[in-house]
Amino acid sequence: MNSLREMMAMMELELRRLRHDRTEIYTRAIQPILWLVVYGTIMSSIRAIPTGGIPYLAFITPGVLLQSTVFVSVFYGLTIVWERDTGILKKLLVAPVPRYSTVIGKTIASGVRAIFQALIIVPVALLLGVKFIPRPLNFLAALVELFLISGGFAAISILVASFMKTRERFMGIGQAIIMPLFFGSSALYPVKMMPALLQRFAVLNPLTYAVDAVRGLMISGDVSHLARDTGAIILFDAVMFVLASVSFRKIIE
Amino acid sequence: MDNQAPDKNPPDKPSLANTPPDGSLPADSTPDEKLVEVRGLVKVYGPATRALDGIDLDIHAGQIFALLGPNGAGKTTLMRILTTQLRPTAGRASIFGRDVVRRAAEVRALIGYVPQEMSVWTDITGFENLLIYAKIYGLPAASRKKQVSEALDSMGLSGFAKTLVKTYSGGMIRRLEVACALLIKPKIMFLDEPTIGLDPSARRAVWEKILTFKREFGTTVFFNTHYMDEADLYSDEIAIIDRGRLVKIGTAEELKRSIKRDVVRVGLGPGAVAGQKAIVRLRALPSVTEVGVAESELTVAVGDAETALPAVIDVLREESVAIAKISAEKPTLDDVFMAYAGSSLQAGPDLREVRSVRRQIQKG
Repeated sequence: MNSLREMMAMMELELRRLRHDRTEIYTRAIQPILWLVVYGTIMSSIRAIPTGGIPYLAFITPGVLLQSTVFVSVFYGLTIVWERDTGILKKLLVAPVPRYSTVIGKTIASGVRAIFQALIIVPVALLLGVKFIPRPLNFLAALVELFLISGGFAAISILVASFMKTRERFMGIGQAIIMPLFFGSSALYPVKMMPALLQRFAVLNPLTYAVDAVRGLMISGDVSHLARDTGAIILFDAVMFVLASVSFRKIIE
Repeated sequence: MDNQAPDKNPPDKPSLANTPPDGSLPADSTPDEKLVEVRGLVKVYGPATRALDGIDLDIHAGQIFALLGPNGAGKTTLMRILTTQLRPTAGRASIFGRDVVRRAAEVRALIGYVPQEMSVWTDITGFENLLIYAKIYGLPAASRKKQVSEALDSMGLSGFAKTLVKTYSGGMIRRLEVACALLIKPKIMFLDEPTIGLDPSARRAVWEKILTFKREFGTTVFFNTHYMDEADLYSDEIAIIDRGRLVKIGTAEELKRSIKRDVVRVGLGPGAVAGQKAIVRLRALPSVTEVGVAESELTVAVGDAETALPAVIDVLREESVAIAKISAEKPTLDDVFMAYAGSSLQAGPDLREVRSVRRQIQKG
């Protein structure tokens, strides 16, 4: 009960922050929009990548959406480092709520932010002529997948934040996590096109499953792997939540 | 500062009468109970840094208790152990009889805490800050908004409730933080350097509000400070901490008296001169340690001014030295600190030492 309470409060905090200031969401949208507008448009005209009949721009849209949400959640760990430099974390620890709920509350809050981030990119994709499957339920389900994977990555960032105690160190690590995961997933090209070693990595990469799920729901309509994808994401979340909650002690002391 | 004289008399054995009906005070507790009990507390960071080196401490309900010491003395470490954030290396501590390690969850429900660093979100309003914390603390939904407004009001912030915190001054942020800690009507309030970095008028405003709610709710207050004037003015009891040890505990008055370094200043009447014989006789008094002579003033260092004064006056009268005025000066807490810790409070600690402690803390 107490933990649920804190998680809801953390989510509300994030919504209230967004209500006061959305600048960050806009500036963070620039990079994914460049992926779509520049990289996507150019690569579409080459037609070098087999996408199974889907226009290339539409093919990479889920990947770009996920990359931007993952960016948001990984850098969310930064706010934990920042909150440790301030007294907020100390105060949360002294509040009468279990500590793991602070961790999960944070990851949920990052999911909220990630969804808003994605919502900004969707209209850009529409303008570029990407055809989404026009079913609201599919769209909602895709947002749920985004939310779920974002939680796991926020947990990774809390885990990393508990080892990196300064913001500067954290910035570098954040990039070093996101880019390999992005390139080692089916975000930009099908897994089958990758070298054998990278293919093995892609199988273990949670982003691969998230991309597959979101692409199925939003673009291709092929949801035959949805259960497997969602299962993989939830497993990833669960493992990361446990690790992050355990390592959270290190942040405090 | 003089118009800010705090209420030195704690409200008549407080806290029980002011306990809200839902208060989780155990039935067997009495007002005389030790609210905070610390025994043999040790905290070691890394291989070599003993931040706390055997602390014993009792704090009774209804007091304002000051932990006075320079930066790096162990004040924050002690407070973080008492507020269940850190585990002690050895020894034990309890609040209302609940061990801070084994019954941490219960302790957290009884305490309010304002850390030294800023602990509010600056990108939302003051009202929203308290609302979020009220939800985290689990205040009932029906009265939540009312309680938040009351807390803001009690800290003089109602006019700024709808303003983003990033536009607040340092003093306002501190008061917002105190308001936040008040939300759960704590039995004891821990304030870590409550006025650090504030200008004198903001410091006064913060203390004024703290004293008001303390009077109203009988809340016990435990604060860390390295400002001796604050400890002097606002606390009922002071513990001096230096290098992880409590060197002396008592009221400001007791501490000052204990070092026996009062000074009696005698202003001489027009044309009056204190002759050699008078000086010699003064020096011979058992209570006098030193006599200084200036043009028209005698400075007499004594153990305790109140008991030494009659003898000093007698000697001067007998030697026919005309006295224009006479005053007794008590030592400052800095003198007290100097006497017990062997260094000045204001000079601060060796910077290298602080840095190494910080590094240890960061490494965990």
